[in-house]
Amino acid sequence: MTDLTLEGVSYRYPESGTLALDGVDLHIGAGERVAMLGQNGSGKSTLARHLNGLLRPSSGRVLHDGGDVAARTVAQLARSVGLAFQDPDRQIFRGSVRSEVEFGPRNLGVRGDALRAAVDAALAEVGLDTDAGTNPYDLGASRRKLLALASVRAMGTSVLVLDEPTTGQDLRGVEVVRRVIGKAHAAGRTVIAISHDMRFVAETFDRVVVLRGGKVILDATPASAFAEDSWEALRSTYLEPPLPALVGSKLGLGATATDEALLAVLSARD
Amino acid sequence: MTLPIAISVLVVNLFFFPGGREVIFQVGPITATLEGLGFALETLARIGAISGAITLFYLTTPPSELVLDLERRGVSPRVTFVALASVQTVPALVERATTITAAQRARGLDTEGSLWRRLRGVLPLAGPVLLGSITEVEERTMALEARGFTRPASRTLLWWPPDSARQRLARWLLVLALPSIVVARAVGWLGWLR
Amino acid sequence: MLALESVTYRYAGAPRPSLHEVSLDLHDGEVLGLAGASEAGKTTLCLVASGLAPRTVGGTLGGRVLLGGEDTARLAMHELAGRVGIAFASPATQLSGVAATVYEEVAFGPMNLGVPRPELIARTEEALAALRIEALAARDPAQLSGGQQQLVAIAGLLALRPAHLVLDEPTAQLDPAGTAMVAAALAALAASGSSILVAEQKADLLASICSRVVVLDAGRVVLEGPAAEVLGDPRLEALGVAPPAAVRLLRAATTANLSAAAVARLGAALDEAVAR
Repeated sequence: MTDLTLEGVSYRYPESGTLALDGVDLHIGAGERVAMLGQNGSGKSTLARHLNGLLRPSSGRVLHDGGDVAARTVAQLARSVGLAFQDPDRQIFRGSVRSEVEFGPRNLGVRGDALRAAVDAALAEVGLDTDAGTNPYDLGASRRKLLALASVRAMGTSVLVLDEPTTGQDLRGVEVVRRVIGKAHAAGRTVIAISHDMRFVAETFDRVVVLRGGKVILDATPASAFAEDSWEALRSTYLEPPLPALVGSKLGLGATATDEALLAVLSARD
Repeated sequence: MTLPIAISVLVVNLFFFPGGREVIFQVGPITATLEGLGFALETLARIGAISGAITLFYLTTPPSELVLDLERRGVSPRVTFVALASVQTVPALVERATTITAAQRARGLDTEGSLWRRLRGVLPLAGPVLLGSITEVEERTMALEARGFTRPASRTLLWWPPDSARQRLARWLLVLALPSIVVARAVGWLGWLR
Repeated sequence: MLALESVTYRYAGAPRPSLHEVSLDLHDGEVLGLAGASEAGKTTLCLVASGLAPRTVGGTLGGRVLLGGEDTARLAMHELAGRVGIAFASPATQLSGVAATVYEEVAFGPMNLGVPRPELIARTEEALAALRIEALAARDPAQLSGGQQQLVAIAGLLALRPAHLVLDEPTAQLDPAGTAMVAAALAALAASGSSILVAEQKADLLASICSRVVVLDAGRVVLEGPAAEVLGDPRLEALGVAPPAAVRLLRAATTANLSAAAVARLGAALDEAVAR
């Protein structure tokens, strides 16, 4: 399983000269569930793309298991880090759900029974097993997004990076995403998600990293990150803590990032 | 861009013009002739005139102004729309293609390996670009129609490039200049330009 | 008033209709919310309400769509453009793509309708003011953030002076800052008496601006009524709709066997938190 480190990573876009990442130091251990928050332009997508080599740091290093990945190609890094993009329509090109999901593992050299098994498992996880032969464009937009998720999951990478997995999803879609993350975590994989769904973040992840202007301004557990002390930092980048945190603070109950946590404290004091 | 063409025209005609007799100078076995030089200069003048005109047009005329003026004079808004929108969609298309390439590379598509491997990337890269363009066209069409674009009558223009008397005079002079020069040459005047 | 009367709609080539016998009234000055799982028919309903279905999109329409009591069946799309405005989730594709500035973009609609120039200018400036984006007037629409582009799109609709606005998940693709921007703009429009039909997944957003909410499931209307009532209905989750955060929390509290006093305190804190 892969351990990820960013060491003093800065990134400047060549065309515009904008500094998207400013000396970021971050370590994500194998098996962690990390949520990355921030507004558009905060550097979160840029950071995600450094994890699989799509972008290379202008200065600093990116390490996998302590080794610098500068010399490894994106295709090589795709064996350990799977990155699911936000817009599924920017990757779908096959005529059937099954062949679309096969693309990733095929590129990694998986064939025959192993390929079928990987694809079947991924499709089952997102509930698209009954639509294996359907044309992706006959699925609705939210199911296509689940298709993109399955496509990455089928690659069997030890790290999953998901860019806005719940944006545009309805209740059931969010449930599916949560289940997929749960299974991946149970199998020891690292899950990193870029999201601005505070509730989803609080309920699904162990660690919250908030970016603003290319720097990490907050790196803590959801309970800490959404506790009153952190509200100023959150609001400085237009993020609002989830409702249970607001209410818990109002009732003087300490750090309660989720419904569950809040109710647990209320019950205890009842 | 015109420079390499100019140089090659000059060199080829200077040294290799058939029927050249008056020698200017010699470089080993190759002779430079006056006729060759004359022909070369003539050709260069023609090329210069054409490319100069195109460049001047391109530099002085913003596409939106050209297109709006055409519409004011009666060209259909759909034509003007296509002309303007085509220019606008290029950066969006480039951005989309970049994201698509990144997404497919993240799924292990090899764009850095051998030529053969990179050729296999054509469909995964071109596919989403085309499919996405089709979807986008559908969405754009809906938005345009919902804002009354398909109304048969002419639309009100918010502004159009002003047309002064001097500009009109200049245009008429240019329009008259062409037939005048043709006639003059036919009649035998302006022979010294040869 | 915009009314759908027993509307059944099937997309061209689709095996089944996407809407079954849907009846819906959008009164003048009312903000009506439309909720439902993905593919429940929210977008289809928006397309039918605006006239794009069946005119631009094709397909077959059963039942009637009435504007001010008049059957719109024989009206062409450009005739409906000035009466019902529709905005979509994707900010970039609904901009015309031919406007160099926000001002021209907002003027695009009335330009198409042949509105005389002085009125064209008045409408454009009014629309920019209504959404408080006068400061963006000289900017290039392609360079704006998603939230700003959505505001420009909505301003473009307002310039058409439609009797009704239909918004199909306007915040679906926006970040929190963009969502807040659009939500505030919608609240202002609602307060000024605009008639809006807004489809959204975000129940909290619907709770804050809608007076009534309709829930669709598999193309049929299954719930309808005052916003607070519908969004508090226990059947919502089974229908694939996430209730507002406050509703979920309170419901979980009641199930957790907390004392009535504790639940009451929670309720009070929630009211305060939500009202902010």
